[in-house]
Amino acid sequence: MSSQLSSFQNSTPKLLGRKRSPTERIVPSEEESSSGSEESVVAMVKEMDTETTEARDKLIYECRLLLERDESNTLNKEFHRRYLDSPFSHPLPPGMVALDASAPWLLYWIANGLRTMNQSWLKTETQYRIQEKVFRVNPHGGPFGGGLGQLPHLAGTYAIVNALAICDNVEGCWDKINRTSIYDWLLSLKREDGGFQTCLGVGEYDTRGIYCAISIASMLGLLTQELCENVVEFLIHCQNYEGGFGGVPHEDEAHGGYTFCAVASLAILGALDRIDVEKLTDWCSQRQYNDEKGLSGRSNKLVDVCYSFWVGGTAAILEAYGYGNCINKAELKEYILKCCQMETRPGIRDKPGTRPDFYHTNYGLLGVAITENSFQLDPRVSNSLKIDSFIINPIDNSVLEPINPVYGLPSSDLEKFYKHFK
Amino acid sequence: MEGYEDISPLPLDTGFKDELCQIMYTDEYRMVVGTARALMERREYSERAKELTGRVIDLAPAYYTAWNYRFDILMHLANGNAELLNQELEWIDEVTLNNPKNYQIWSYKEAVLKNHPSPSCKRELPILQLMLDDDTKNYHVWSFRKWCILFFGDFTHELAYTEMLLERDVYNNSAWTHRMFVLKYTSPSNDHLLEEIEFVKAKIKLVPQNVSVWTYLRGLYENFFNANYDDRIVQFTKNFTHGVEDEQAEMNVNVEVESSFALEFLAHVYTLRGGAMIPKAIQAYKGLATRYDPIRKNMWERKIAKITAS
Repeated sequence: MSSQLSSFQNSTPKLLGRKRSPTERIVPSEEESSSGSEESVVAMVKEMDTETTEARDKLIYECRLLLERDESNTLNKEFHRRYLDSPFSHPLPPGMVALDASAPWLLYWIANGLRTMNQSWLKTETQYRIQEKVFRVNPHGGPFGGGLGQLPHLAGTYAIVNALAICDNVEGCWDKINRTSIYDWLLSLKREDGGFQTCLGVGEYDTRGIYCAISIASMLGLLTQELCENVVEFLIHCQNYEGGFGGVPHEDEAHGGYTFCAVASLAILGALDRIDVEKLTDWCSQRQYNDEKGLSGRSNKLVDVCYSFWVGGTAAILEAYGYGNCINKAELKEYILKCCQMETRPGIRDKPGTRPDFYHTNYGLLGVAITENSFQLDPRVSNSLKIDSFIINPIDNSVLEPINPVYGLPSSDLEKFYKHFK
Repeated sequence: MEGYEDISPLPLDTGFKDELCQIMYTDEYRMVVGTARALMERREYSERAKELTGRVIDLAPAYYTAWNYRFDILMHLANGNAELLNQELEWIDEVTLNNPKNYQIWSYKEAVLKNHPSPSCKRELPILQLMLDDDTKNYHVWSFRKWCILFFGDFTHELAYTEMLLERDVYNNSAWTHRMFVLKYTSPSNDHLLEEIEFVKAKIKLVPQNVSVWTYLRGLYENFFNANYDDRIVQFTKNFTHGVEDEQAEMNVNVEVESSFALEFLAHVYTLRGGAMIPKAIQAYKGLATRYDPIRKNMWERKIAKITAS
């Protein structure tokens, strides 16, 4: 039996939405089956052409062309470095005004992308300029908003704390962070049921806000009992019947981004054992498709490189906490490197047919780091701040900085930062 | 700027040389946002201030500070006045249609509805329908729809609505999850649940290879039948696996399955049943690992290891 089954090791079932009539069956020929060298096709018959299959068919076609190529299986770091260097040396065009409230994210995505590729690529001069900008816009040292005159916001504060964490405390910038004021503000955003609103007054109220708050607090040594009260209960109720997490506890659809936020928060709070981990691993694994090899953020949605981090990072966290690895890292890496890098443009894109941007570049790079490492909690200190990573294959490796999947930061930077506030 | 001549716009940047990631603002943007900043600093809660926040949001919809300022203005001006709040809801609808992916709209709208003396579910549903017609899986819209349904306590249209969407696209996972939301909040009768299972089976027959519907089926059993999978559902599922989970299947390497998700479902049920069903569960997982869903090989092998160990 085993020899027969092993002859199918390379087979790729066609899962959804090939353009063909519903009655057509493609059966592998004997030759193909026995040689195992050719792709044997297991067709799942009976489909319907809908918006979902149309979009997916098109993407599968584009991915397949790219995946079948032999070359471009390396991470083009020097090329991406050029992409990430440019916004630090030129102003951004007026068209980017849509990101006017997201300047902290730009700082984090760009600086972190450089830092993850090579510690020295985030130059001391740039680190100096990052903290200079942060504290000129926010002379009181936080909580932080999107820019001058903007209200403090959880996402902005998260991104700025992360950006400062990779700045090596230049100019003593870590001591300019106003922890007391950040702590009081975090408490003021909290509601009784355990969630955090992104901003005072009106603001979103979902697992994303919780992750930002809990991540900030844990890095700055502010994770008090008062701050954490009911947070775990809120998060537990966001896990829906699919196994992933929605944004809020009212049976929201499971979504890669909200799932990461919930799982990373639960890891920080030491409460992963309070959820249905098996359903969660099933759901994470279900996000990976045989044809494209990448990860999607929801069932029957398209793959997108950012889920290499949101879902891949969730998988890495579960791996670190001893629940085993539930995704196919080697295949995911193929998707990122072959489908999301372009020869003509630097940076990493969401999927074939889109253009690179800073967001997808940062999370694509973190995604590569996840595919090339296995993760393990430091057995001496059971703490999400201390996750070790081990290179899986030293030969086929992009030489990225070891990263911590809970925080999306290089581990060595994270360690220096949180120890500073201990 | 006309109507704001008495206000000097505040700067949008700190003015130091080589500021990182500095956007090259247009003059219009500097004027509009700078003036709004100045009004906010003065805590001016006026009609003209509200109007200006609308212009900021028009230029940069994610500029959350303008949303927050606008809310404060609205609360001062409207003070429970239904007509003014209705006008605001109209304005929100317009912004929503132009910015389907925006994050800020929904919490803002929730806050306006909570402060409205006589909010109406009837008023809210058509715009959501319009949004979902255009983008059937828009996460924010679905999540807000759930909030809305709970806020008004009106579940009457939801199942029919998702049924219509599933007729259009049976793969729409958002519509499936919305059905589960409705069932979980409305304590359905046993008959209703059995009907729902028939509904699911019909959709599976239509398209067996559909992750959403199999996950939903499992969700129904787990939430309402204590994960007690009866023989009928097992027989039904076997229609789509053509016996590859049976041990003798190894003899026939060309056996087709119509749905890898059916095989996954069956393997799960057999694992729960245990005993004589375990070899079938293992066989099903082996089929998934080698042939029908090999990218998830890791998972399938872990499941086999777990079964074997216990």
